[in-house]
Amino acid sequence: MQRRTFLQTLAGAGILGSLPLARALAAGATALSVDDLPPLEGELTLYLGRGEGGLYENVLEAIKKRNPKFTLNIRRGVTAALANTIVAEAKAGVRRADIFWAVDSGAIGLVNDAGLARPLPADLTGQLKEGFRYDNWSPVTGRIRTLPYNTQKLSADKIPDSVMALPDSGLSIGWAPAYASFQSFITAMRLLEGEKATAEWLKAMNKRGKNYAGELGVVMAVERGEVDVGFANHYYTLRLKAGKPDAKVDLAFSKNDAGCLVNASGILALSEGALPINFIRYLLTREVQSYLASEAYEIPLVAGVSPPEGLPPLASISPPQMDLTRLADLRPTLDLMRSVGVL
Amino acid sequence: MTRLPGSYPLALLIALFALVPVGVLFALASDTAQLFDTHNLKVLANTLALMGLTVLGSVLIGVPLALLTAYAYIPWRKFWLIVFAAPLAMPSYIGAFTLYAAFGPGGEINNLTGIPTPAFYGLPGAALVMTLYTYPFVLLTTRASLLSLDASLVNAARTLGMSLGMSLWKVVLPRVVNGIAAGALLAALYTLSDFGTPAIMRLDTFTRVIYVEYNAFGLSQAAMLSLQLLVIVALVLFLESRVKVTRERPGRSLTLWPSRWRSGLMLAASAPVPLLSIALPLGIFGLWLVREGAAGFELSYAWNSTYASFLAAIVAVVLAVPVAHAAISGRAGRLMERVTYFGFGVPGIVMGTALVYVGLQLPFLYQTLGLLVLAYVLRFLPLAVGSVRSSAESLDASLVKAARLLGASPREAFTRVTLPLTLRGMIAGAALVFLEAMRELPATLLLGPTGFETLATYLWRVYEAGYFGRAAVPGLLLVLMSGLGLALMLSGERRSEFEVTKSGPK
Repeated sequence: MQRRTFLQTLAGAGILGSLPLARALAAGATALSVDDLPPLEGELTLYLGRGEGGLYENVLEAIKKRNPKFTLNIRRGVTAALANTIVAEAKAGVRRADIFWAVDSGAIGLVNDAGLARPLPADLTGQLKEGFRYDNWSPVTGRIRTLPYNTQKLSADKIPDSVMALPDSGLSIGWAPAYASFQSFITAMRLLEGEKATAEWLKAMNKRGKNYAGELGVVMAVERGEVDVGFANHYYTLRLKAGKPDAKVDLAFSKNDAGCLVNASGILALSEGALPINFIRYLLTREVQSYLASEAYEIPLVAGVSPPEGLPPLASISPPQMDLTRLADLRPTLDLMRSVGVL
Repeated sequence: MTRLPGSYPLALLIALFALVPVGVLFALASDTAQLFDTHNLKVLANTLALMGLTVLGSVLIGVPLALLTAYAYIPWRKFWLIVFAAPLAMPSYIGAFTLYAAFGPGGEINNLTGIPTPAFYGLPGAALVMTLYTYPFVLLTTRASLLSLDASLVNAARTLGMSLGMSLWKVVLPRVVNGIAAGALLAALYTLSDFGTPAIMRLDTFTRVIYVEYNAFGLSQAAMLSLQLLVIVALVLFLESRVKVTRERPGRSLTLWPSRWRSGLMLAASAPVPLLSIALPLGIFGLWLVREGAAGFELSYAWNSTYASFLAAIVAVVLAVPVAHAAISGRAGRLMERVTYFGFGVPGIVMGTALVYVGLQLPFLYQTLGLLVLAYVLRFLPLAVGSVRSSAESLDASLVKAARLLGASPREAFTRVTLPLTLRGMIAGAALVFLEAMRELPATLLLGPTGFETLATYLWRVYEAGYFGRAAVPGLLLVLMSGLGLALMLSGERRSEFEVTKSGPK
């Protein structure tokens, strides 16, 4: 969807939303349309962990445009730094943020553990796909762990189905151990396979692994042929290919293990009242979810919205079942990674 | 009976003020007992090696450029000075990233021209990038010291048959060694606290360990490790304080009139520096801009960056004068001055969080422009202190005494003698704070007014998301606005030239 048409759809009277059929569907398990939502009135301050280069911006702009009586103040920052700021503010008896939208669920866990998140109504969390429903916070969009590989050097069938088999595959591997998403992936592996197997795996991988600062760097290195395969969130590859259609990189997926974990960005309300809740509802609408899917290549988490182009449907990937808030337990993961010399 | 120097109470107050965020770090670290691991000795070695190479590189580039811009009458000299100083406003992670994207097999240069280029990574890559983005520290502090030197010694040496190069080496440089050391100190502290560059160049340094802790929600551990990093900071501060110069009277500074082709040759020899540090990042972003287009940028970001940085530069210099004065006056004052440097050696994101705790104690200021400027001043005060001190240090105190003897009040002696003679140092200090504030990120994100977007925060946003085309325009504006700000500050130097020549010893 083009930006302008998106803004028009969201700002004007939605075409689909005006049909009675859509309204009827909305009452069921499918996503709501913005037309089903009450208008927003008043003022909110949002702490936004990372801006995603204007795409979240477009969503927020469209929400503001649609609700002329609504003022939204935004503070952007490094997710962990904003979470620390919210905790510091609460300690000092100050509250500046009404909503916190974080790029990873670990930061949500930190604020939630500090007892600062307000409970969300069941009809809101009920809109989310099964496995993504939580009491005090709501996932917004998802991302999946992938194995980007260099298409010139190998084909998808050379990559093992199980991430645990990668050390024996003989492939050279790019990874970013200091990167938060990678650490969440190791946390998931620790929970699914156990400490010992994870430590063995890390040790074996360390002999093949080449370190990068971030996962965008990993994907670029795979594309340049510096390594055969990498570990990265799916959208870096899709975005790189969008800017460079002949890029020599494609995505492979492991099956039913930490290697294809679906993690999510999350949002929570810090102040009471209907306004923050209703704002969160807007982010879960069909319009916003499909926009973030098509433009930012993020995975929609409400029912009835198709995943981004270039990504197979979630059902065919078989990601592992995982309570995302458990991924906030990073301390043992860091200790483990340090003890085997990966970090 | 000896009286305490008049600047002591004020300097002490400012030093204590600068220590507050470090105090917050102690409070935050009290929850943990995590100590720097011995298996991290390699990390420590990397950190020290990177720091050493960066200092060496920034002196090797900064000092010749300082000589060139201070003494040689080349065409457009102020313009060249601004070009050579501008890399200080560019975030070094941007430089590291574009260098990585441009060079090596499969890099943009390789793709465009087919010419294979070597890849930059590891210690050499990180040291190169850090050098390219820290040498202006040395350039500006050294230039300020050079300009306050009396040329007559060089002229005497030349009359006695010493070659120009030899006389610069033997007569000029030993007298500005404190200016060089002040700049090298800043380069060293910046290298210690920077995270992005070594991470992109895949070099494991102390800051990476701290960042991993911070991002894994171990604020307490990150604070503890930052405090341990301060041990290295203290060592560097001690080494720099050993550098001493003799005091001398000011005079008209040296001027050289190189021939046309010599000027051309010198500029050509220095061209790779701005080409790599400014033209390359802008070129790479420009390439992505053509490839994918850009949207979402507002000109107000440039204005926000510029005026917040300008305010910080002015406040920092005003506060730096008493601290620098105290540092020259005695040992206690020297200690007060050293204390203001600590904050500059702490990784930005940890310092930013400490400043949030400080800011929350001033609820009426929290998340206002005033607090942001205050945060900049707290972080970058040493930049101003260093250059004011190094240019004032070599001044012969007898000038002020003479003025006093002739009936001038202390205030008059200060405004008519000391101030004009240290103005260059103050301008250099203001320029350093201004440029550094232009690229500052963590404090801007956390402490600025909500919705306050600057060029640096916008660059970070699009970089994080991988939309590099959108970094082209703000990157260019960052260089342009820094140039404008510098031009405005350097125009203040004319005033000191006038006063020195009119009332200087002739």
